Amino acid sequence: MILVTGASRGLGRAVADRLVGTGYDVFGISRSTEELPFESAACDVSDYEGVKAIAQKLRKEKRALQGVINAAGIASMNLALTTPPSMTQKLIQTNLVGTIHCCQLFAPLMIRRKAGSIINFSTIAVALGLKGESIYAASKAGVEGFSRAFAREMADFNIRVNCVAPGPIKTDLLRGVSDEQIDAIVSHQIIPKIFQPGDVSDLCEFLLSSKSASLSGQLLHVGGA
Amino acid sequence: MNLEKSKSIVRACISEISDGEIEATDEMNLIGKEAHMDSMKLVELCLALEDKAGDLEFEFDWTSEAAMSKSRSLFRTVSSLAEEFYAQSQKTE
Repeated sequence: MILVTGASRGLGRAVADRLVGTGYDVFGISRSTEELPFESAACDVSDYEGVKAIAQKLRKEKRALQGVINAAGIASMNLALTTPPSMTQKLIQTNLVGTIHCCQLFAPLMIRRKAGSIINFSTIAVALGLKGESIYAASKAGVEGFSRAFAREMADFNIRVNCVAPGPIKTDLLRGVSDEQIDAIVSHQIIPKIFQPGDVSDLCEFLLSSKSASLSGQLLHVGGA
Repeated sequence: MNLEKSKSIVRACISEISDGEIEATDEMNLIGKEAHMDSMKLVELCLALEDKAGDLEFEFDWTSEAAMSKSRSLFRTVSSLAEEFYAQSQKTE
């Protein structure tokens, strides 16, 4: 079974749908789980007790967790000086703390099996230091730092931890970002084109598979940065 | 459950995760320079205790701000861990 957070829309949904299509048993987590075509639970990943309750349920059911994809995230395009403190908290709580919660609470299910793959989501905004994304980038830079250190903590248990950092991909997260802004970001990628959710799903499939057995603690930029 | 039973559970879990190689005493250190197990074994011990707690119908939470403190950690010794395990079992009774 693969657990996917942020599974109701955006990249999380695209990856979950792909995994279902390729035969994986998927368990989705999102704030809203109405009409999802796979098993799911409603939970905000920043709510430690809520995530813990799901982990306890899966443990009691002795579910064989093979991988976790932490795709839950929010974005806010704003200058640091004009971002209200409530949004700063929300970005850090969802993007960074939520990812940490899920790693802490679901990793034990894989430690018991001595195998697993965790994929955390970052962004090209960290590598490029994009203007207007400083707080969002800070939350994701935290995810990158956490992932590298956590990969070392998990290595003894044969659990790999990697980060995927997409560039601009047309999902709900980019709502409100103009085509001109997207083109400007894409022009800084090593491969200057707009990639699709399917490209991110390809990478996740690879990182879940034994073909990536030699990779842990790595950051993979979709499109290159 | 009483404290002695709790100590016996912790000792049994240590024996289990070390395939019988570690014969735990109550004063055996679990962290620090004198520790008889590495961090990997410590995690395995936590998971083993979580399973035992499940059998006893309570949830064992091993997270603690002082987890790696030599003076305050619940992992200081087998006894301190057993005391915490016992205390948490009582909270749910």
